Amino acid sequence: MNSAAPDARQVVRAAAQWLALLESGGATEQDRANLQRWRDTSASHEHAWQKAQALRQRFADLPSALALSSLDRPDPGRRVVLKRALGAVALVPTAWLISRQLPLDVWRADLHTATGERKQVQLADGSSLQLNTASAVDVDLPNRRVKLVEGEMSLKVSGNSPLTIQTRFGQVMVSQSEVCVRQDAVGCRVSVFNGAVQLQPLQGAALTLRAGQQINLQAAGAGEVQAFDVLQPGWREGVLMANNQPLGDFLRELDTYRPGVLRWEPELEALRVTGSFRLDDTDRILALLAVSLPLEVQMRTRYWVTLLPRKKVV
Amino acid sequence: MSDAAMPKEQTLHELYRDHRGWLEGWLRRRMGNACDAADLSQDTFLRLLASSQRIADLQEPRAYLLTVGKRLLSNFYKRRSLEQAYLSALAALPEECVPSPEQRWLLLETLQALDELLDGLPRAVRRAFLWSQLEGLSYQQIAERLSVSERTIKRYMAQAYEHCLLVEL
Repeated sequence: MNSAAPDARQVVRAAAQWLALLESGGATEQDRANLQRWRDTSASHEHAWQKAQALRQRFADLPSALALSSLDRPDPGRRVVLKRALGAVALVPTAWLISRQLPLDVWRADLHTATGERKQVQLADGSSLQLNTASAVDVDLPNRRVKLVEGEMSLKVSGNSPLTIQTRFGQVMVSQSEVCVRQDAVGCRVSVFNGAVQLQPLQGAALTLRAGQQINLQAAGAGEVQAFDVLQPGWREGVLMANNQPLGDFLRELDTYRPGVLRWEPELEALRVTGSFRLDDTDRILALLAVSLPLEVQMRTRYWVTLLPRKKVV
Repeated sequence: MSDAAMPKEQTLHELYRDHRGWLEGWLRRRMGNACDAADLSQDTFLRLLASSQRIADLQEPRAYLLTVGKRLLSNFYKRRSLEQAYLSALAALPEECVPSPEQRWLLLETLQALDELLDGLPRAVRRAFLWSQLEGLSYQQIAERLSVSERTIKRYMAQAYEHCLLVEL
């Protein structure tokens, strides 16, 4: 603001004084006429006047009680210790938190992860379970069951006593094998990394799925068996991979790891992304995208991020 | 990642590698909290990435990082106190009046922008301005509340308008 040209400052000052005079209720007819003349004198005057009106409008659009208690808050000094109240999304750390492998012998547990969190648990029978971001499972070892409530899990069962993963779209029996199951509102994707699993979809016959194969289960039954690369690192290694992926799909995936809101302009959807990104710093992923693609990251706070097409250099 | 991006990326990488630990340590001593310090040091580098400043041209990278870091630190405390006031105000609302999560975010964003806009105004000026804009009080009513003359309020209001318009200039 200090760089503003002196006459621009003069114009702004004049506009501010006109507005204050008008609002004071003390303006005469003569004052109003003078104001009109001032506005007509120069485009810069009229522009400043319009800016002042727009400023008033910004305040007029706010819910007044909320805005007043926030903006006219008592000055608490700088060293505020903020209670992390109200489930304030604003204060959830963004880091990809990895809870250490829990040493406890888990027989029954309801486990869940927050957005951006990953968790690994050793079960009492030696099986190993990992939860991806924003996921929940109920573990019931006595009945050899794990229920995937929401999100994504992987399960490695070393012994030959099978564990059954229950989803809303069918069951997966796992023994001497390693599998990854991801569930959302419309379906469930099962990917086998090691060994083989038995699948029982809600509709249709049971089938066997082997290492390197994946399948989608939906309410109507199982889809086609597809091949995938078991060696490609994924969320279990804390990595997000993209291979010529449409940016829109990539961002929807990235969004599941970030608290707050991530938005982007529709015209960015079709850009292509290739790369391997570390999930422990999703801000950095966004920064990297801005370097390699024609977009810019508008980060008002780290919890409200918008991606825009990069402006053409004039 | 495309090849064209590599030079900037490399340089930032070096800057990050050489100075991040130092900046984070500086912030941690001031904030007494390793997580926040780490966040803020990341923000500082991100700010650098987003700015037009050419990283290769930085003569005194630490001085530059410290300047950006200090500004972010100051904003951080202001934002926190705004967030806190906002959350308490939200909590005090009757349930049916609480805005949706998306609206809550948008509103917080707007309030943060306005808070920054008003930053630097003397307390009495700021209050007079807010009462006028948000509560629709007349200059006379504000004058009574603040026990000053109406003339003073008119001066306050002009000062506040000028301040905000200059920030946006």
